[in-house]
Parts: sequence; structure tokens; C-alpha cells
Amino acid sequence: MKTFEEKWTAWLDGHLTGRELAEFEASLPDKAAAETERADAKKLSTLLKRELAAHALTNEEFFSHQVRERIAREGVSPSRERNVAVPTWWTIRRLLWTGTASLAIFLILAIFVMRDKNPAEQSQYLTQILNARVDPVVSPNATVSMFEAKKDRVTVLWTEGLQSLPSDYAAR
Amino acid sequence: MARARPLLLAFIALIVSAVPGLRGAEKVWSGLVIAENVSQPQPIPPELTRIERPLKQLFGYNQFQVIGQSQKTLQTGQEDWLATSKFFGLRVDARGESEAGYILNLKLYKEKELLLETDAKLSKRSPLIIKGPQVGGGQLLLVLVVQ
Repeated sequence: MKTFEEKWTAWLDGHLTGRELAEFEASLPDKAAAETERADAKKLSTLLKRELAAHALTNEEFFSHQVRERIAREGVSPSRERNVAVPTWWTIRRLLWTGTASLAIFLILAIFVMRDKNPAEQSQYLTQILNARVDPVVSPNATVSMFEAKKDRVTVLWTEGLQSLPSDYAAR
Repeated sequence: MARARPLLLAFIALIVSAVPGLRGAEKVWSGLVIAENVSQPQPIPPELTRIERPLKQLFGYNQFQVIGQSQKTLQTGQEDWLATSKFFGLRVDARGESEAGYILNLKLYKEKELLLETDAKLSKRSPLIIKGPQVGGGQLLLVLVVQ
């Protein structure tokens, strides 16, 4: 035996038929108001179906959707990060060129330094007088000395007491 | 590859210029110079321009005239040569080349009379000046420069 509420719900949904429908509609105190209410219920039902259809996920579907999305995110992110890594200036070719150029600069500097560096001898850049002598018969009082004008990079052999000569000897 | 070629050439050029043994022959200029003080000094000869300042500062003269000279290109470092004026002769005997320069034996003659003899290691970057005898009011100087 159905209660009134059960019959009312079935009537609203259009599930009552035949004798049962006739008896129920006869029992309604105000059939016009009931028809209005049933029409409103249908409108509401239609509206809800339309609006909520896109989000109609069951719990299982929602859970598996979340899991799939998470797996995809964790699996794809690193490779995506690798693919979009910040481009670097140090390509292999540039590394090779830089290395070669550095080696060349080092060699050149090493050669220059080794060529110029000789702390034991100043003769690397200044002329050296190894020895000097004057004829003691021609110039018995002559003396020789030597010095370097380092500022001008000039070496001088300085003689004193050589025999003086007349100006005729300045002839070309 | 086209960009690499100039770089390679520049590198080789630098290496070649840096290695002393690969440089070409050098010239040695030898001169007999009379230094004097005159009221109207002549311009200094171009061969002495490089050492004009030390010449004037060290010897105190205002005019320098070349009375004899010789320019010798050294190939082996064993050459000898003579720079002469009317009365003087400077004989230079090269006795080898080192990294720093040339080893030279120098002899100054007055006609056939040896006045002075010296051995020197002439640097390629450093001229040699020898103060000779007094000549009149001036001074005879011997100058050797690697050009």
C-alpha cells in the first residue's frame, strides 16, 4: 500500500497510470494547483539536468580522473623542464674555441715572458762592454770606464787621456 | 671554417714574431761622429736621431756630424766590416750572435795606429757609444746601433 507521498512523487514523475492515476487525481483536493506544481517540478528537473550535466562525475570517475591527472603531471613535467631548459652560451663548439684561444694566449705570453725574463743578465736589453784597452805607448795616461744610461738604453765606453788631435782629423 | 682561417693565421703570425730565432737578418749601423759646440748647429743625422738625447746630455755638444759610416747586414753573425773617415778607421769583427745581440770586437785606428780596442755584446735594443780622442775643439765618438 503506497502512501500519499509515494503516489504524489510517482504522479509528478508521470509514473501513475490507469485506475491508480484516476483514483489519485480524484483524491486531490485542488487538481489545478497540483497540475501547476507538477509543471513547475518538471521545469526544475529540466533545468537541473541541463545545468549539472557537465559536472556529472561519479565519485569513482572523479578519483580516477584526479589520479590520471597527477600521474600525467609528474611524468611529463621533468621532460618538459628539460625541453624548455634555459639555453646556454657554452655550446660544445664555443667551449672548444674558447679552450683553443686560451691555450694560444697562454703560449704567446709564455714565449714573451721567457724571452724577456733573464734576471741574471741585463744584456738582454742593454749592450755590455766585455773589455777595453788602449795602446799604452800611444796614450800612456789613458783610462777607460763604462756605464749604462738605462733610461735611454745606451751603453757608453768612456775614455780619458787619449792623445788629442788637431781639427784636421775631423775631415770626412 | 672560413672564420677559423684568419684566427689561425693571426696565431701563427704571433708565434713567428715571438720566436727570436725565426726573425730575419738585422742591420748594424757603425758611425764615426764628430761632436762639437757651434753657434749654428746642423740638424742631427737621421741615424743618430734615436740617441740624440743621451748624446747631448752625456757629452754636452750641440752638433753631431757623421764623418764615416758603414751599414752591414748580418746574416751569420760572423761578418766583419770597416767604417772609415779620412784619418780614422773603425774595424768591426762580429764573433757570433746570441739571443741578446751580437758579440763584436772593435778596433779604432788613427791611420794605421791602433788607438783603442774593445769587445762588446751589442744588444739589438741598445746602442753603443764610445768616446774617442779629442779632435780640435770637438770629440770623436764611435756609435753602433742595431737597426
